[in-house]
Amino acid sequence: MPYRSPDRRAITPQGRGRYPGFDVLAQVDLWDDVTAGAVLARLSHPTGLSFFTVAEVAVAAPLLDLLLAQDAEPRVPVLELIDERLAVGETDGWHYDTMPEDGDAWRRTLACLDEDAHSRFGRGFAELAPDQQAALVQAVQDTDGDWHGLTAAQVWSLWTRYACTAFYSHPWAWNEIGFPGPAYPRGYLNLGVDAREKWEQRDDEPADPVTAGRRVEQARREHAELLDRGTR
Amino acid sequence: MKGEAAVRARNESAWLLPNDGSRTNHRLREDMRHHDLDDEVDLVVVGAGAGGAVLTQRLARAGWRVVCLDAGPFWDPDRDWVSDERGSHGLYWTEPRQIGGADPVPLGSNNSGRGVGGSMVHYAGYTPRFHPSDFRTRTADGVGADWPIAYAHLRPYYEAIEAELPVAGQDWPWGDPHRYPHSPHPVGGNGDIFLRGASAAGIEARVGPVAIANGRFGNRPHCIYRGFCLQGCKVNAKASPLITHVPDALAHGAEIRADCHVSRVLVDDDAGRVTGVTYLHRGREYRQRARAVAVAGYSIETPRLLLLSATPRYPDGLGNESDQVGRYLMVQGAPQSAGRFDEEVRMYKAPPPEVSSEQFYETDPTKPYKRGWSIQTVSPLPITWAEHVVAQGHWGSVLREYMRDYVHWATLGSLCEFLPQAGNRVTLGDETDRHGLPVAHFSYSQCDNDKQLLAAAQTTMEEILTAAGAREVITIQRFAHLVGGARMAARPQDGVVDADHRVFGVAGLHVVDGSTLPTQGSANPGLTIMALAARAADRLIAGARVGLAHQAAS
Repeated sequence: MPYRSPDRRAITPQGRGRYPGFDVLAQVDLWDDVTAGAVLARLSHPTGLSFFTVAEVAVAAPLLDLLLAQDAEPRVPVLELIDERLAVGETDGWHYDTMPEDGDAWRRTLACLDEDAHSRFGRGFAELAPDQQAALVQAVQDTDGDWHGLTAAQVWSLWTRYACTAFYSHPWAWNEIGFPGPAYPRGYLNLGVDAREKWEQRDDEPADPVTAGRRVEQARREHAELLDRGTR
Repeated sequence: MKGEAAVRARNESAWLLPNDGSRTNHRLREDMRHHDLDDEVDLVVVGAGAGGAVLTQRLARAGWRVVCLDAGPFWDPDRDWVSDERGSHGLYWTEPRQIGGADPVPLGSNNSGRGVGGSMVHYAGYTPRFHPSDFRTRTADGVGADWPIAYAHLRPYYEAIEAELPVAGQDWPWGDPHRYPHSPHPVGGNGDIFLRGASAAGIEARVGPVAIANGRFGNRPHCIYRGFCLQGCKVNAKASPLITHVPDALAHGAEIRADCHVSRVLVDDDAGRVTGVTYLHRGREYRQRARAVAVAGYSIETPRLLLLSATPRYPDGLGNESDQVGRYLMVQGAPQSAGRFDEEVRMYKAPPPEVSSEQFYETDPTKPYKRGWSIQTVSPLPITWAEHVVAQGHWGSVLREYMRDYVHWATLGSLCEFLPQAGNRVTLGDETDRHGLPVAHFSYSQCDNDKQLLAAAQTTMEEILTAAGAREVITIQRFAHLVGGARMAARPQDGVVDADHRVFGVAGLHVVDGSTLPTQGSANPGLTIMALAARAADRLIAGARVGLAHQAAS
């Protein structure tokens, strides 16, 4: 197994998770080498960006942090993973005929979000407080139909698709959700409800997300309304 | 075993794979027969997926000189595939395409394959048959279309392909009741929940049918229940043409040229018949001469190629004199409902395809809508599961909280029989690909019957999950599969090919893939596409015996 320093074990993004000590990477010697290579590559922290301009990073970085609630270290390098994809044009191929191709769509929507920040708060998106940024992001999600000449739902789909694909491809995110990652050639032996392999970790804090989620979203909307009254 | 010996005698693919823990017979590929470009081969097949690969294998066995061209790579599961969701991007057709209409259908990972094996490399593995009613929905239900062939014509081919894949499942009570060559697989948590909920709700469900051998099959090993069927089976347990038909095709003299993007079907305008194809390989254009061409590029690329092959005699594209090319393209409405359980389900374990029900497949005369839907287990991995959560409007900390709860959710999916409509079609778009060729534009809009099926299917899935004990249920609207776009019809005014897959008005041109289906039922189309290709091969072989005059008469 490749060497890992003790402080790099069982990491979860922002130190949150429900499976204490669960460490997907502890099983890397049971994976095939091609898969291991693909997953381990996500751990080497990229040092530079190729696709996004400096002005775009100023909008994209806080936007992605908000979408995924990455408000502290350690962070999955979502911005860097998306930049890498767009730099080599690794899109899903298809795009809505009402949207430009994905790279251009990212550039254009980041600029539009910055424009929203200026027109509503008089400053760039990067300079706003997180609750102001969140209110602008929420407004895009709540828009029914047109947003700066694009379809808001298609913009939301673009942002969340790229963000979630990057975040949930990372072994730290798998530690957080109890997913063991690659399974070849190891496979699974114990199938069925409440059946676990001996190396799978039980959910330590089983909490139904539905009720808590409703509360957070209610609060988020009320806060956005308060902000709205303050700026008008 | 008697059954396996019979399969081996007509298709030796599973025995031509290595049995040493590696997954590819490299020697077979190195020793592949090569044809000259100027050699007028008997048939060029465009695309090595469910249709093209089966056609190639059958005709190679019959002694035809066949060259099969595929735009993507000749996969080696050991070298090219990963046991990882994000890393499987290369399995999908990601050349640019435009989508539009009132209900645009995303392509890529959802329904579009690439390389030798086609979309079956990343399909889940469900291989149900169509029902007899699917072949005559116009007569029986007043919707859709009648096929120019009946279920009975396809039945022997269903049986043959089910044995060659082979398919595992319980005795099947729906449609034309039948048995499967392999017994059903054990199920994981997701399958357990479906069986439990269906039983409590009074709905019939069965384990299968999946094209995953239950036990060794030839040199293909047993499934290891690792759950990455949609990322390409590194084990060689799940069937795809790459391992079920390509090895035998190569052993019988077929040539499969990978990384060859066919750009045009060539026709002699005076004679009104095909002469070959042009294709692009590593930046160069080549031309392969052929006596006949079978297009098998699936529902988006097949119409696109026919449209791109226009000539002075065929100004609107080949087979398009009646403006039928690209039309009546169908997807299935595929809402997926997930339920939250206090127990741990861990749906990522075991193959996503486990249990299904066809109880609601047929028209129910007491309902306002026609035709129906099927229900199957689906088991989204984390990135896809995030789509389910995002579709509920969650983001930020709420998204993360739902995702942390991943192991407690079970997911079911429906396949709703959307009806064929003339306006749902492929045309050439206003942008070009890296070869400078216009890309496909795919427009889709649902009709009222489609929408009613979606709502009814969602209600039934939520009932099953609730009956199984789910505390919360969430549903996402998705689409699955592609068929139609160059459909089979009795008359040129109604379709692109005849009952024997011959393109109307162009001698020597055939379409042998999912685009020829006039209706789609609520079944996953892979098995039916393979069965049609096996039948098309028999018709071609029979046609060759009576001479070219008969073919030209079409």
